Amino acid sequence: MTNSGAPIHIKPEQAISEAAALGEKIARGAELFSKLRDNEVAIATTPKDEVWRQDKVTLHHYRPLADTKIATPMLIVYGLIGRYTMADLQEDRSLVRNLLNLGIDLYVVDWGNPSRADRWLTLDDYIDGYLAECVRVISERHRIDKVSLLGICEGGVFTTCYAALHPDTVKAMVLTITPIDFHGDTVENRLGHGFINIWTRSLKPEDIDRLIEAYGNLPGEFMGSVFSQMTPMRTLMKYNLDMLEVMDDEKKFLNFLRMEKWIADRPHHPGEAAKQWLKDLYQDNKLINNAFTVNGRQVDLGNITMPVLNVFAKDDHIIPPATSQALGAKVGTKDYTELPLPGGHVGVFVGGKSQALLGSGIAKWLSERQ
Amino acid sequence: MQALTELWSRGGKDFAAAQHGTSFDIASRLATATGQEGAPGSAPVTFFDLQGMTKANEAFAKLWSSAIELSQTVTRNAQQGKKQDPLVTDLLGKVFDPRAWFSSMDGMDQALQRMAEGPRLADLWDTERKMLNVFNAWTALRQRSLEHNTVMLDAWLKAAGKFAKDLNETADRKEALGSWRELLALWVETANTALLETQRSDAYLKSQREILKASTDLRLAQQEIAAFYSEMFGYPTRAELDDVHRTVTELRRELRALQRANRDAPKAARQPPKGSRKQPTQAGPNRNTP
Repeated sequence: MTNSGAPIHIKPEQAISEAAALGEKIARGAELFSKLRDNEVAIATTPKDEVWRQDKVTLHHYRPLADTKIATPMLIVYGLIGRYTMADLQEDRSLVRNLLNLGIDLYVVDWGNPSRADRWLTLDDYIDGYLAECVRVISERHRIDKVSLLGICEGGVFTTCYAALHPDTVKAMVLTITPIDFHGDTVENRLGHGFINIWTRSLKPEDIDRLIEAYGNLPGEFMGSVFSQMTPMRTLMKYNLDMLEVMDDEKKFLNFLRMEKWIADRPHHPGEAAKQWLKDLYQDNKLINNAFTVNGRQVDLGNITMPVLNVFAKDDHIIPPATSQALGAKVGTKDYTELPLPGGHVGVFVGGKSQALLGSGIAKWLSERQ
Repeated sequence: MQALTELWSRGGKDFAAAQHGTSFDIASRLATATGQEGAPGSAPVTFFDLQGMTKANEAFAKLWSSAIELSQTVTRNAQQGKKQDPLVTDLLGKVFDPRAWFSSMDGMDQALQRMAEGPRLADLWDTERKMLNVFNAWTALRQRSLEHNTVMLDAWLKAAGKFAKDLNETADRKEALGSWRELLALWVETANTALLETQRSDAYLKSQREILKASTDLRLAQQEIAAFYSEMFGYPTRAELDDVHRTVTELRRELRALQRANRDAPKAARQPPKGSRKQPTQAGPNRNTP
């Protein structure tokens, strides 16, 4: 430091004014908070009906919001990390509502809340068991041979594997923020991006085995903490600055709380499936190399012969774009389209600009392939 | 700024003293309780790594001293020549408190510790060799945690040093930050970059991995105790329950396969007509739970 002068010149009157404004903001926020009721922060409120259930897995059919324009129904498949409710966070930020309003007949599979009792479930069970059953049920309900799939993140890996194993039952596949090349983070090697990839590779396979042996599953709170590390200062400032910024604005505050609700609802990942996810995919990168197997069958990406729309977020710090884009060189169809959207991993679904582009982009792409 | 300096000094001193005192308190109590020997006929028991813990403590304390020194430098110069503003002091006190980086940034460490720490240590003193294993695992986790905090403190020092340098350069340019938000924005940007760079470092990844391993070891050692008492009192152990769950999962898997085979056989024979889409045939739930 030099003696050339003080680098901070906050005028007393300005500081007093800011402090007073902050005090008013907190008071208004506290009043607003005291009046809030649970139903005001409800998420995933788009009406739907349960049409099938097996073990903890349920398949829901959304009630239409407009005349059907796309003939083939579409199944939304989220992963086991987080929950599908992200796609229907709130009325004005809902991929589900956007697609329904654009005339798409929509289903969603909810994997439920896996517990320690579900430790032995594998990705094979989810892909070739439950997901296959969902496709069958939808096909039977509509008396059709093929349905369209919309995979999100880990759910996109499920749909990719399913589509490669059962291409004759898939009309079209839409992937969103889906990792295919799990070492693709090294392409850009961007600071703050791909931490899960780096962190997982820093572990030894036996570390993961022992973790699952000890806990029986990959605890939801554990994955939550890993995600928090990816945005370090935001995590640190979240409840004392970010929340203060919005707490006197009802709309913004409710948005904040709904997002918090989704973040807090983080199910455990079944243990054996977690081992495959972390070791076979994140560490050994088997999917892009056509070396991943499901029920003893090789997942050959070249068998994906249906049209594919691959949506990724240009600023996705969890699934860096290159990890998704790698699919293009591997699929067996020439009808492969990429849709890069502005924003980050979750922003694709809830960001003002992206979520509108996402719904209309999917609907347009599907309508051109009826 | 006086308050900020005192806050850091007091916090650092308390933190280091607590870590140091805990180690020796545990050591003396454990020595009294166990005599450092395993049960007759059992495998030798390794006493916990007091030397390693002390070393980790020393590394941490050394860095902490540097942090305090740096904080005092920033404190002296940040509002130089001006009347100290209590609001600024309070803001800086919260923003630049390095302890926040231990409690909030190492979220995984916290999460793992919460998950692993079922029974409290105080409940374990009257037990035998298995208990000592738990204690050793607990101590190892504390040591790993301290080592991780040392990595984080090093990152904080780098961030604070960069922040001080930037402030200094601002002053050299005869400029000044005119609002809290500007000050905060500079710190957030500086700290975020330092943290993200740290997260990619071998030291950080290694300490995270060691914490994960230590946490897992503790959990498994605790499960050994639980299994011991479960067997003693005739309750099912975790391993037995896992076996049952495995069997149930495999049976469900076989049932699904059989259902599919039964369903597909007549369908293949009938070959139902394909073609135009029709409306769903049923509205109610189609329960198919084995």
